[in-house]
Amino acid sequence: MAAIRPHLRLPWRLAKQPANSRMGSRRFRMLALTSTQLSSAVDDLRTGLSSWRLSHFLAWQDVKQRYRRSTLGPIWMTLSFGIQIFTMGFLSAFLFGSELAKSFPYVCAGMLLWALITQTINDGAGLFVASARYITQIKCPLTVFLLQTLWRNLIIAGHNLAIYVAIALYFVVVPSPSMVLWPLGLLLVVLCLSWIALVAAVISARYRDVPLMITNIITVLFWVTPLMYFPEQLGQKRFIADYNPFTHMIALVREPLLGGAPTLNDWLVVLTLTVVGWTGTFLFFARFRSRIVYWL
Amino acid sequence: MLSIIAKDIHVEFPIYDPRMRSLKYSLGIKHLAKGISRIATRNLNVGGQIGAGETGRIVVKALDGVSFEILEGDRVGLVGHNGSGKTTLLRTLAGIYEPVGGAIQANGRVFPLFDLQLGMDPDATGIENIWMRGKMLSLTTKEIKDALDDIADFTELGDYLYMPIRAYSTGMALRLAFAISTAVVPEILVLDEMIGAGDAAFLSRADARLKTFLSRAGILVIASHSMPILRQWCNKGLLLEQGKMVAYGPLEQIVSLYQSKVATGQG
Repeated sequence: MAAIRPHLRLPWRLAKQPANSRMGSRRFRMLALTSTQLSSAVDDLRTGLSSWRLSHFLAWQDVKQRYRRSTLGPIWMTLSFGIQIFTMGFLSAFLFGSELAKSFPYVCAGMLLWALITQTINDGAGLFVASARYITQIKCPLTVFLLQTLWRNLIIAGHNLAIYVAIALYFVVVPSPSMVLWPLGLLLVVLCLSWIALVAAVISARYRDVPLMITNIITVLFWVTPLMYFPEQLGQKRFIADYNPFTHMIALVREPLLGGAPTLNDWLVVLTLTVVGWTGTFLFFARFRSRIVYWL
Repeated sequence: MLSIIAKDIHVEFPIYDPRMRSLKYSLGIKHLAKGISRIATRNLNVGGQIGAGETGRIVVKALDGVSFEILEGDRVGLVGHNGSGKTTLLRTLAGIYEPVGGAIQANGRVFPLFDLQLGMDPDATGIENIWMRGKMLSLTTKEIKDALDDIADFTELGDYLYMPIRAYSTGMALRLAFAISTAVVPEILVLDEMIGAGDAAFLSRADARLKTFLSRAGILVIASHSMPILRQWCNKGLLLEQGKMVAYGPLEQIVSLYQSKVATGQG
């Protein structure tokens, strides 16, 4: 290659170009979806789901790997969650003037979900980048890695559940028939989370700023989601919690765990979010799926 | 009948510099990318052609209209300079890169072996690694179970199989990786450079295993710079140059064409 070409020496001069009529068609092409793209996206989801064993295996390897050569192993997860809940439970009771017996189970159940939700979204953002070595070396449905993330975080939440059980026993949370609703709520929450994680994963593969952005958004969301306080305690400003989808996602599991029941509104919000979200995500995923490997 | 049919495939890599990767850049300061993309496509000595892609972004044209048919029993050696598109073609064969133009169809299960140690974890035991690596190669649980004894026999690792592979020497780890990777009968085997393993004492056994492994493959596609290796294993050759297929035919013909190009400093 010879010397740098003259017109490239001053890159800013390149800006002065006639407005390019191709721009319009280019935008259009960005949105164009072919039937091949749709069917291979369906294929990716289908083969990904049917090889759930691989995701399951990878998820457990992740959990194991994190705690190799440590004596307490995965108990560390539970332990640090317990310490966090212990602190937050007291803090919530003192700051917001609720009883310990009420605030402890409430904070614990809420944080259990919050940890699951935020960790999944955060992991989702790093999903394809973290698995880049696999994605560029073997042909594997991308869904496998999404399932791996979901499953790994569910395993961790399962560990944390032990803390909730201990707290519920200690403060005598009276079981009620509505408790059977929590697995159903959890299922819906996970379905909703899965599209959020997938969108985050695709965008983050292309734009490396996005994971950092997401981490920041989540930090802010923590304060406007009723986790340490009850929604009623917001008084006039209750809409802050009501318009926050995470409030409803958390309520779907937290309320049954506490012996109450989520409102119909909670169900509808999360259900709508899941259906609309997955529709959009599917189209988005279909459009960009084959490009992801090129971005890594 | 196993086969690979490629029709006019194009693979382009978009180039993002760190600035282009950030969202801010993409939303606002687009002009630089547009400007550079106006550079006419130029011919370089090494690598694919750089030019403007369909969307006006800078791209490296790694494969530029490649068409061929590979049938069952074929042993194809890919030859060409660094950056001529050999690895890209292999990965496209494996279904990792989906071409932006044209179509490629592989009839049969493609078994790509690019990184022998992919999916292996230094802190996991040998046995655990056999499972992980096996799963990575998308072997079934049954296939892995059946291969366990064979792998243990071949590697002679004995009780080391129950130790984390961190404790292995490089040679031992490689032996294990090699044994797992060669434990099945592949339909379409795709290799980037010849695989191998081990120390002198082990070499002849590794060779024997490799021979069976390669000969049992329905189709073999291998990229290599080593003519002796290609002569040993291949019956056909495919010469790539700047992402374009220059020739495809009997190996000897392709090798001599390539060597004459190298001698005259072309390609």
